[in-house]
Amino acid sequence: MKYRETTRSGGALPWLFQRISGVYLAVVLFVHVVNLHILIDGEIGYAAIAERVATPLWKTINISFLIVALFHGLYGLWIVLEDYIHIGWLRVLIYSVIATIALVFAIFGTLTMITFQYGG
Amino acid sequence: MAMITFKINRYNPDDEKRGHFVQEYQLDVPKGYTVLDCLNDIKWKLDGTLTFRRSCRSGICGSCAMTMNGVNNLACETQALALNCDTIAIEPLRGYPVVKDLVVSLDPIVRGLMAVKPYLMTKTPPPTDQERLQSPEEREKLDGLYECILCGSCTSSCPSFWADKEYVGPHAFLKAYRFVADTRDECPGEHLEPIDDKHGLWRCHTIFNCVEACPKDLNPTKAIAELKKELVRGKLG
Ligand code: SF4
Ligand code: FES
Repeated sequence: MKYRETTRSGGALPWLFQRISGVYLAVVLFVHVVNLHILIDGEIGYAAIAERVATPLWKTINISFLIVALFHGLYGLWIVLEDYIHIGWLRVLIYSVIATIALVFAIFGTLTMITFQYGG
Repeated sequence: MAMITFKINRYNPDDEKRGHFVQEYQLDVPKGYTVLDCLNDIKWKLDGTLTFRRSCRSGICGSCAMTMNGVNNLACETQALALNCDTIAIEPLRGYPVVKDLVVSLDPIVRGLMAVKPYLMTKTPPPTDQERLQSPEEREKLDGLYECILCGSCTSSCPSFWADKEYVGPHAFLKAYRFVADTRDECPGEHLEPIDDKHGLWRCHTIFNCVEACPKDLNPTKAIAELKKELVRGKLG
């Protein structure tokens, strides 16, 4: 006898990635704070930041941070909304809005980072 | 002895016009009376129409779970004077459909429970000369899991269940883990597979209400965490 219909969602891997991305975000934030507020010599100004951001290492860190943060935050938001929104078309609409926001921010952010240059 | 006012949520399906309402009763409560004793006194001496469910009056059957002053508990295990109030508000468990007065429908509990196949499942034939044995250490793993009396207090307190009536519920997850953790059970997937869905494990947001609500001091949230780990391990191979 079947007591309820099951609908596959494959929630295990997103759940795991949400945990891993949370740890990654915390670590990068920590590195950021230490780097910017403790290790830095002299004044924190455009020049100091721009010089660092223009290096390939920091470009990579910043792009990965952006993409992981977008996934972590927006997937979390979707999970919470999903609890309360049961109307089919509304779910599709909200999911599309969230996916679009993620895509637009990811593309613009990545382009900004890749093309950023400072000094010679 | 203390005079206590009981404010009880009432509902009679045969009197839809009146709907849900609160009725007050006053009772001289002697020391040692549980809330269930008080309800019995009210029913037997003041108002025979008051309806509630109880059976064992010793915290075993789970029938008398209800919300007392906002907290889910067993009426037969709650000392009325220990609540330290001159008014005690009693409601049926929240989140379930009310059948009458303090009696709720247990259909959602049974549906979630049966989904996880709450029984030992084996592939190998049983030994012919003895039972399927467990070492004391293996048996100890079931402590904190087997004691559930299926009172429904946990699922009633769960916001994920309030939002999604198809949600399997912490009571069923605790029961599922009771069998997944049992060394005699040879088919953990049979208990895990039905809860790996959008009304299942992944709807739990680790809110811990179920832990607070459980009159048996069990920890469904921990069981859910263990089940999640099992499923992730299974996916990663
Ligand atoms: S886990 Fe606790 S609250 Fe939940 S059904 Fe079992 S005994 Fe009741
Ligand atoms: S009457 Fe059985 S648990 Fe209270």
